[in-house]
Amino acid sequence: MNYPVWFLPETGGGFLIALISILHVFVSHFAVGGGLYLIYAEKKGLREKSQPILDFTKRHARFFLLITMVFGSISGVGIWFIIALVNPAATSLLIHNFVFGWAAEWVFFSVEIAAAFVYYYMFGRMDSKTHLQVGWLYFFAAWMSLALINGIIGVMLTPGSWAENMDFWAGFFNPGFFPSLVFRTFIAVMIAACYGYLSASFTTDSKTRVTMTRFSAKWALVSLGLSVISGFWYLSVLSDQSHGLVMGKSPTIVALLPWGGGGLLFFLLVMLGAGIIRPSLNHKPVALLAMVSALLIMGGFEWTREAARRPYVINEVMYSNSILKKDMADLNAKGYLHKALWVQNKQVSEDNLVAAGEELFLHQCYACHTVNGRNNDIVKATSSMSYGALVSYIKKIHEVRYFMPPFAGTEMEGRALAAYIAGGLHGKEIQEPPQGSSLAGPKNGATLFDENCASCHAVEDLTAALTGEDKTAVIGMLKTLNEISDAMEPFSGTEEEHEVLADFLKNTKQGGK
Amino acid sequence: MDPLFIPQPDTIPVSWGWFQFLLLLTFPLHLLAMNAMLGGLAIGIVQHVKGGELQRQLAHRIAIALPLVIAFVVNLGVAPLLFVQVLYGQFLYSSSILMGVFWILIVPILIIAYYSAYLYDFRFTQLGSAGPWVAILAFTLLVGIGFFFANNMLLMASPEQFGAYFSHKSGTLLSFGQPEFWPRFLHMLCGALAVGGLFVALLGRFRSAANPDLAHHAEHVGLQVFLVLTVGNILLGTWYFFSLPGEVRLLFMGHHFGATSAFCVALLLAAGTLFGAWKKRFWLTFYHAVGLVVVMSFMRSWVRSGYLKDFFSLDALRVVPQYSPMIFFFVTLLVGIVCLGWLLKKTSGALLLERGRE
Repeated sequence: MNYPVWFLPETGGGFLIALISILHVFVSHFAVGGGLYLIYAEKKGLREKSQPILDFTKRHARFFLLITMVFGSISGVGIWFIIALVNPAATSLLIHNFVFGWAAEWVFFSVEIAAAFVYYYMFGRMDSKTHLQVGWLYFFAAWMSLALINGIIGVMLTPGSWAENMDFWAGFFNPGFFPSLVFRTFIAVMIAACYGYLSASFTTDSKTRVTMTRFSAKWALVSLGLSVISGFWYLSVLSDQSHGLVMGKSPTIVALLPWGGGGLLFFLLVMLGAGIIRPSLNHKPVALLAMVSALLIMGGFEWTREAARRPYVINEVMYSNSILKKDMADLNAKGYLHKALWVQNKQVSEDNLVAAGEELFLHQCYACHTVNGRNNDIVKATSSMSYGALVSYIKKIHEVRYFMPPFAGTEMEGRALAAYIAGGLHGKEIQEPPQGSSLAGPKNGATLFDENCASCHAVEDLTAALTGEDKTAVIGMLKTLNEISDAMEPFSGTEEEHEVLADFLKNTKQGGK
Repeated sequence: MDPLFIPQPDTIPVSWGWFQFLLLLTFPLHLLAMNAMLGGLAIGIVQHVKGGELQRQLAHRIAIALPLVIAFVVNLGVAPLLFVQVLYGQFLYSSSILMGVFWILIVPILIIAYYSAYLYDFRFTQLGSAGPWVAILAFTLLVGIGFFFANNMLLMASPEQFGAYFSHKSGTLLSFGQPEFWPRFLHMLCGALAVGGLFVALLGRFRSAANPDLAHHAEHVGLQVFLVLTVGNILLGTWYFFSLPGEVRLLFMGHHFGATSAFCVALLLAAGTLFGAWKKRFWLTFYHAVGLVVVMSFMRSWVRSGYLKDFFSLDALRVVPQYSPMIFFFVTLLVGIVCLGWLLKKTSGALLLERGRE
């Protein structure tokens, strides 16, 4: 509300953030773990007095430089650019609060760059002891850089007392700081080993290829095992809500599970089969499969971390749509549009219902929903909902789906948003629902279904579940919906409404809507 | 008057003067590196296309240095971009969104330019006549990035334009239509190319023991380029000066003591650089030019606060004091400088040993 919304209806800002950041972390973790890998590969070459291994290490250092210096560092700047474009309020809050953390990270980034250049360009041109020290300095700087960023972005998921006091150190050493740092360190080594495995597949000397393949696979498997253990530690410090989302309440995370799990499985298979048992099987396509698998693991983790803090962008402080939690009551009382800066409709009336609704959509929903796009398309998500269902749903959106922020604004603004979605996007009729059963007469079953169930269910979907149930049983179910799924709450209507809704569901089951 | 769209700024942990100090400390370093990158590359391309043994050698030296220079341009750009966000975030975030499509394009453009620079370096010989084309691609892309930055830096200082958001929600607004844009951009670009001449001369000096002919050639070319372009840039600077809004221009004409003094010092330093380049005295020119870039960056800061005077002053930023993170940063900076010094010492020691063996 404080900043303009960059509106790319079909693309969505979230997709751009995910694209840039997942690719970036896949390289930036390589930049950290790769330092350690290079040191130990060089040490191995020196210990075994093997020029081919040293040649491999130098070639890998060049590959490392080209990937991390160019793609890694520029995509890192890219994340900064994209988050400021998509979520300027959260970016500004984190930049202002942690400015000296970012500044310290910049110092280590500088040392990292200089050490990487010296390591590569002076390979074989300075005594090995000093060269290894340069490698260690590189690793130290890169790891410190990771530690600093980890402290700052960790606050977004596990803010701890920072959410209340905004104290730099409380935020930096947030409850997730150490588990996340240990987890990321092992992941970094695992990814670095995977890049090493890839480099090995390009090695023409078969003996070196086998040696370095096995070397890389050992690193990969050990660090994978350790990252799984530290992952559980990380999971244990999450809040109950975040924990619940990770464990299955977030549809985003659930949808990703097969990809992440598949990545893990393939990674294990490749590293064990074509790394430890038969390293000679490490050919370019196999190594590529390992890389894709590692990318899926990394992407899965970052995606989960992102989704686990919903409905917030900064847990307990700022919702995904940039609204501060502390402002919510005031916005509900006085209205969102009145307080928002970058809107043209400051008031809502019957005349500007759809136009004001569009601005509300832009400010409160577009952070996660595209319009006719692939990612969380609002048109598809609301296709079965009428205006009345939307009005009712918007009021309790956060209660029904925890991971969505509550709507901020007056009742009239809620109607405006519903009018934009139902009327503006779907071209449906905008007809006011009856105002309370006592004045307007009892609601019929279709209306009750529309208002209470349609946001998640199509009538036909319930047919199978209600087969063979009598009306009393259906009423019983309506009263104990929370026992069927903790994503639902018991139907809160009157006894009469229970009966009407049960009749409606039963009639539908029998084929008459 | 049209409504203004200026977001509320977030609080800062220490007085704004610290951030201004850090911004003015780091921004000139970024400018100097950027000048070396753009000017060096432009001269490298011309030398490469011209042909001849010395010219080719010089182009190759520049090609080798280029990826390292780009890395430091980016790195030294991060710090001032951070501090300017702390001071002027409410303007910069807004203007970036207003030109969001172009702003985010900087990232892929820079990646392509950077890889082109590595290609030009690692495959300098193998590329043959295609080499200059790769370099031209990198140069064009880098100038394009400069163009987008110039747009944003002017747009962020022009909040009265922000209302155009409602017709550019997809982030397609640019500010090159403003009368001062082109002289401002060209003044910066021409200055970068000129100072790049000095970088080339410096690069030659590094090779003075191993290849004195190359060193002499590099210095000759570098100082000549600097002299000609600086004379040209005085004309562009004059154009820029008179294109500034009256109130901003007057800051440098007696209405503000600091700004006017800086302007006078800048004119003297410019004269010093021209004298040094004319007399072919490298270090005299170099030091004056570095001083000039520093003073110019200070003047640029006054220009920005002049533009924003009616909307915002840095005093308006609310401080919620917490000084310990800043102390932590300064300690880190010290450690970083020691580490960089150690790397420099070990590298130069190894290189000297290598040269001794040769």
